[in-house]
Parts: sequence; structure tokens; C-alpha cells
Amino acid sequence: MNTVNVLTVLAADDHHDIDPSRSVHWLWPEQAELIYGTVSSLIIFGLLFKFAGPMVAKAFKARTERIQDELDSSAAAQTEAAAEAAEIRKAAGDIESERARLLADADAQAEAVLAEGRARLDAEVADLNAKADADIALAGSRVGDELRAEVARLANAATEQALAAGAVDAATQQELIEAFIAKVGANA
Amino acid sequence: MSTDVRIDGYARALFEIARAEGTLDEVEDELFRFARSYESSDALRNTLTDEQVPVAKRQAIVEDLLGGKATSTTTQLVSLVVGSGRGRDLPAIIDRLVARASSSKNLSVAEVRSAVALTDDQQARLAAALANATGKQVNLKVVVDPSVLGGLVATIDDTVIDGSVRTRIDQLKSRL
Repeated sequence: MNTVNVLTVLAADDHHDIDPSRSVHWLWPEQAELIYGTVSSLIIFGLLFKFAGPMVAKAFKARTERIQDELDSSAAAQTEAAAEAAEIRKAAGDIESERARLLADADAQAEAVLAEGRARLDAEVADLNAKADADIALAGSRVGDELRAEVARLANAATEQALAAGAVDAATQQELIEAFIAKVGANA
Repeated sequence: MSTDVRIDGYARALFEIARAEGTLDEVEDELFRFARSYESSDALRNTLTDEQVPVAKRQAIVEDLLGGKATSTTTQLVSLVVGSGRGRDLPAIIDRLVARASSSKNLSVAEVRSAVALTDDQQARLAAALANATGKQVNLKVVVDPSVLGGLVATIDDTVIDGSVRTRIDQLKSRL
């Protein structure tokens, strides 16, 4: 039995015509009971307000500060994340530009190597052609020289052989001598 | 004394001896022929210039070669040069003698090389032709040289007139 009910019972003792096992009204208690109950409630609420209120306020304040701190932390984290994201994007951009530069350099070097290779190949082909032409000309000249040398050798051999066989006979000798005398005499 | 002066001295001495003997033309001609044979024969040249062969032996060889084929003056003059150890200079000495003899007669020496011997008529006509061609009276000296093969080669002082088969063949070889 709570305090209101006790006060109600005590108040009911003053009215002997009231049946204590039955309620005076289905909704409202006895007047005294209502007063005591109200005063008691006020006291309890006052005590709660006095002693529990600061604790509750403090708890709310602490909770508010904690939430504010969390919000601040979140904001800082968001800012930091945004900065990191910017750094990452920047780094990604740098990587992309470096990649593009490297690819461009590689393309340029490859083009230069190809151009140099083509030029060298052309020069080598030209040299080979010139050498082949020179070799052909030399071979032709050599063949011509060898042919002339062979003809001369054969002619010399034939001449020596004819002379050894007495090709310049006595009659020819006399003709040559007379021709020489006539020629020298004609030069006078 | 230089070799050239010595050669000239011998030539002058031989010339004076031949002229004193009155056989200059004949001796000159024989010496000229002997000089050409001497030049063309390595064996003869080596023998007559070999210091290991005694002088008497070398002179005996000369007398064997020329005895009966040349005048005694020619034989003695060659023997004299060989005996004095100047066999190496014999052709030069004889050429100087021939030049001196020709000069004394206002003639130029015309050395003619032929593969075969020339007749007297050919020599006379050739001498006349050379005289006409050069404007000089010539002392014709014919040398039989088989290497000429055919035709003639005439040398008068510094002038060479070459009509030899050998030269024509050489020119043909060069052109080929």
C-alpha cells in the first residue's frame, strides 16, 4: 500500500459512514487523499528536480558534448578524407600525366630508332648496291684484262714460235733491209 | 786517275799505234767487231777479266781467238789491254778509239745491228742513206745480232733509227 492509500485509509476513519471496502468515486479518490497525494507528488517531483535534475542535465550536456565532439571528429575526418581524396586524385593525375609522358617518350624513341634503322638500312643497301656494281665492273675489267693478257700471251707465244721456226727467212730479211735503206734514204 | 781518263788514255795510245802502223781503218774495224763479240759473250768476258787466270793465259786465249782472223796489230792491242788488267774496260776503250778514228776523218760512227750480214752494196747504200738522213758522213759499223730478228737498227751519236722486227714485236706486245 502506497502513501496515498494509507492517507486515504486514515482519512476514511474519520467518516464512519463510509464503507472502507468500497471506493467513494469510481474515478476520484477522497478529497484528503487527493490533497495528500498531490502534496506528496509535488514533494517527490521537487526532490527529483533538485537532486536528479542536475544529474540529468549534466548527462544531457555530456551527451551533447560527446555528440558535438563526434560531429567535430567526423567533420575533421571528412576534411582529412577530402584532402586525402584530393591527394589521391592529384597523385592519380600525376601518374596519368607521367604515364602519358613516358608513353610519348617511348613512342618518340621508337620512332627515332625506326628512322635510324631505316636510314642505316637504306645506306647499307646503297653501299651494297655500289659495291656490287663496283665488283661487277671490276670483274668485267678483270675478265677483260685477263682476256687481253691471254691474247697477248698467245700472240707472243705464236710469234716466238714462228720466229723460232724461221718465219723471217732470208728473202724476208733482205726485203726488210732494203725497206729500211729506202725509208732512211727517203727521209733525207 | 779516274777510270774515264784511263780509258781515254788507252784509246789514244791504241789509236796512235794503229795509225803509226798504217792500219788504222782495218784495226779499228776489227777491234769494233771484237768489242761487240766481247760484250755478247759472258764466257769470254768472264775469262778475260778473271784475276785468278794468269795474265799469260788470258793473253794466250786472245791470241788463239784472233790469230789468223785479225791483223797482228789488232791481236797485240787487245792482248796489251787484257795483259794490263783492263779487260773489263775493253769495249769502252775500243769505242773511244773508233770515235777518235772517225773524228779524225770527220765521220760519225754509225753502228748498225742486223740479224744477217750486209753485202758491200747494202753497206754502201745504207751509209749514203744515213748520211743523207742525218747530214753527217758516217763510219758504218755493222754488227750481226740475231736478237734483232729482222730489219736494222742504226745508232748515230744520240740518234736511233729502229726498223727491227724485234722492236715491232715488242711494240705489238705492249699494245696487246
